[in-house]
This record gives sequence, C-alpha cells and structure tokens, in this order.
Amino acid sequence: MSAVAVTGLGVVSPHGEDPQALFAALLRGESAVRPIFPELAKPAAAATVAFDESRWFTRLQLAGVDRVSQMAVAAADLAVKDAGGLHGAAPERVGVFGGCGMGGAVALEAAYRSGMATGAGRVPPLTVPAFMPNAPASHVAMRQQAQGPVFTYSVACASSAVAIAEAAKAVQRGEVDVAIAGGSEALIVPGVVMAWQAMQTLAAFPAGDAQAAATAVRPFAADRSGFALGEGAAFLVLESAARAKARGARAHALLAGWGHSCDATHLTKPEAAGQARALRMALDAAGLAPAEVGYCNAHGTATKIGDPIERDALALAWGGDLDRLKVSSTKALHGHLLGAAGALEAVITVLALAKRQLPPNAHCDAPDAACALNLVRPGAVDAPDLEAAVSSSFAFGGSNAVLVFRRA
Amino acid sequence: MSSSLKELQDLIQEKYGIDPATLDPNESMRDKGFDSLALVEFLFEIEDRLKISLPDPDPSIETLAGLAAVVDRVRAQQADAGEPAADTSAAS
Repeated sequence: MSAVAVTGLGVVSPHGEDPQALFAALLRGESAVRPIFPELAKPAAAATVAFDESRWFTRLQLAGVDRVSQMAVAAADLAVKDAGGLHGAAPERVGVFGGCGMGGAVALEAAYRSGMATGAGRVPPLTVPAFMPNAPASHVAMRQQAQGPVFTYSVACASSAVAIAEAAKAVQRGEVDVAIAGGSEALIVPGVVMAWQAMQTLAAFPAGDAQAAATAVRPFAADRSGFALGEGAAFLVLESAARAKARGARAHALLAGWGHSCDATHLTKPEAAGQARALRMALDAAGLAPAEVGYCNAHGTATKIGDPIERDALALAWGGDLDRLKVSSTKALHGHLLGAAGALEAVITVLALAKRQLPPNAHCDAPDAACALNLVRPGAVDAPDLEAAVSSSFAFGGSNAVLVFRRA
Repeated sequence: MSSSLKELQDLIQEKYGIDPATLDPNESMRDKGFDSLALVEFLFEIEDRLKISLPDPDPSIETLAGLAAVVDRVRAQQADAGEPAADTSAAS
C-alpha cells in the first residue's frame, strides 16, 4: 500500500489559527480554558475561539451557515493553502472527510429560544440546513469545489480521527487524489454546556476564579475532576506520498497506520481491552513495534474513570516498553473539542514529530498512581530521537480510533 | 415605483451590508448571491420587520423590484382587510 503524506495543516483553535503558534503555546503550557456563562447555576469553563467569520464569508453567504460550518470552512481553507493548493487535482478526485459530533448547536439553541422560549412561535427558516451534522463537510466541499466523496463521520469524540483514517484509506485505494480530512465542533451554548454538566464529566472549579478555571483540567493527575469543553476545527490535507513528491510538496509527516475498535460493552464507560485492540491494530498497520513509537497524544479527558483505563490500554499494547513511551494529553490546555478533538490532536501530533518536541501534560503536579505513565513534564519538550507518534481518540459509544504518524 | 422598494433596500444594506447602488432592482437577485436559501431567510426577515405575512416563496420572484411588488400587494390586501398598519406599534 502506498504511503499517505500529510501536506497541509489548518486549524481554527482556542489558541488561534496558526498551527505553529498553537504548538508554541502548548509547549509553554498556556491554557485557553476560561470561565463562561456566569448566569449558569454551576460554574462552567470552556476553551472558545476568537473567530472572525467575516474573513471567510460575506454576510449574505452566512445565511444558514452555523458556526460549526464556518470554522470548518476556515480550517479546511487554511489546510489547503498550507498544502500549496489542490495543485490541479480534478474536482471529482478531491474528497472531504469531516468529523462532527453534534452539528450546528448554535442554530439549534437559537431555534429553541425563538420558537419556544420567546413565544415567537416560529424558528429561523434555515435551522435545518444550519444544524445538520454533515453541513460542515458540505460547506467545505462547496468552498474547495471538492466533487468526489464528501462524507461526515459522527462518532462522538472519535469523529475526526475516524474521518482522517477513512480519508487515508480513500487515498491509498486511489479513490481520490487529495483528501481534505478533519473535523469541527462548536457547541459552547448554555443548553449544551448544561447537558454536559449533567453528565458529571466536566472539571470542577470555584465560581469566578479564572486562574482555577485555566488549570482545572488535570489529565492523569490524582486530583483530576474532568474536562472542559472546547470548540474549533482542524483539517489535514492528505495525498499519496508519491503525488506529494512529484509536485514537490513538503510533507509534514506520513500517516502510517490507524486502528479502529469498539468496546461493545457500555455506552459511556470505556474499556481497556477495546482501546488496546485499536492501539495494536494501528501499530500493526504502521508496521511498528511499540518501542519504535516515542510519543502518544493521549485521549486523556481527565475523568476519574477514563484516565486509568487509558493507562491500562497503553500498558496492554506497549507491554514492557510502556516506560519508553512519552505521553501527554493536550486537552488540559485546549479543552475537549469532541468531534474535532481527533483532528486537532492529529495536527499537534504531526507538529510534535516534525519539530521533535513534545507538548507537556499540563496541570499534573501529582500524578495518580493508577495512571502510571511516562508523562511529558513541563519544560521537558525535546525529543531528538522521535520517529513515530500516535494520537488516540476514544468515544462515547465505545468506538476507539488511533492514528499513527511517522516522520516524513 | 414601489413604495416598499426603499425599505427592502435599506433592510438589505442593514442585514447584508450590500449598498443599494450595487443591486439593480431589475436585475436577478440570484446573480448577486441570493440563492434560494438566502432568499428564504430574507423573506422571513421581511415578514418580521414589516409585520406582514408573505405568500409561500414564489419562484417568479427574480428581482428586488418583483419582490417589492409582492410586498406592496400584500400590504394593500392587509389594508383592505382592515388589519393594523405595519408599524412598530402593531407589535405591542
């Protein structure tokens, strides 16, 4: 099978729209998590995006385009520009593979408010095209004139990791010459935040304490209490390594393998054996032994239940080489982007490989003994021998997705 | 000339930032970027702002002048039916 090259990176992230600046902020341990919605009964924090949609859309073009699609269009466009354009690919040979967990939450919230709460009796007329979960990928297709397969994968927190793997398969099979793959999520609205609060998975912090909010997400720490929601979009441009070389494109990294599995045990409680199957499958697909992989960008949601299970899964897959694997969850700093998490963390993993630097596992002063891992300590960023890295995404629903990248 | 045209032009400027001078009332609105979805949204906005109820989207509405004529007609029908004038007080 031909190698798949990552030739473009684009992000609309809580740390901005420049992947290099995003990565530098992560290395410095800068948190983008802030208190939000003080009107809610329970303190809430999230990592939001300062997004200027006018750079991508006229006001007329914004009719029926939810924030989740706006950010997807922007991130995909940045990725294509980073790749130097589509470079003459026939439109029907360009595909879009997008992940999205929820769809247009802003449009849905506005519809409920205008239709029910305010007594207006009707909702904005474009509510349906705004909230449908496949709208982001379709808007990307229209903007980039991608006329090949345009698919949306809604696999909760694994959505965009699955999308990237499916895109790579399409590239390998020769179904597309170029794949624009990633995901977007934008659900920081009061109703959805309250729904996540009700799930008891969000990090706790004292009301009104911005510093405590910024450090509230503590993956693998003994005092962890959950994650903070994030929003944003991230896309990668994938093409065969042969095509990239032929057109003289720079490859940030190679997407060397991927693994999928389902726990098939519980809708929301993860299982180590299922995650380990996906990890092993990804390593096998990449033709790598555990000892050859130097870094894992963990799913690491900082929940009481999830983190030790992820540790156990890594231990099952890495065996005696577990201590050689450096691990960090960057969700401590950019929040949990849910359907876009796999894509953003794939970008971060690619940059870690390209730069041979590792973002820290922030806010973990006292690691939990049940999460015994070789965590990346703040400041210990250099990884001069790094050759391969994995990014894990484990979803509600039990679906697990692991991506393996190698240096180009 | 339609009495509603100026109001629609002002609404387009306010909502979309489009200068009336760049939108010839007798040219196709679609050619200016008003696809079917944008037009539906605009029709809802007209109904909310002018406190009128437009007929279901009429595919024959191609131009802003044509749209203004429909609004004029609806207003005239509402006046004939003795409905309240379409000013802000009607909403209270």
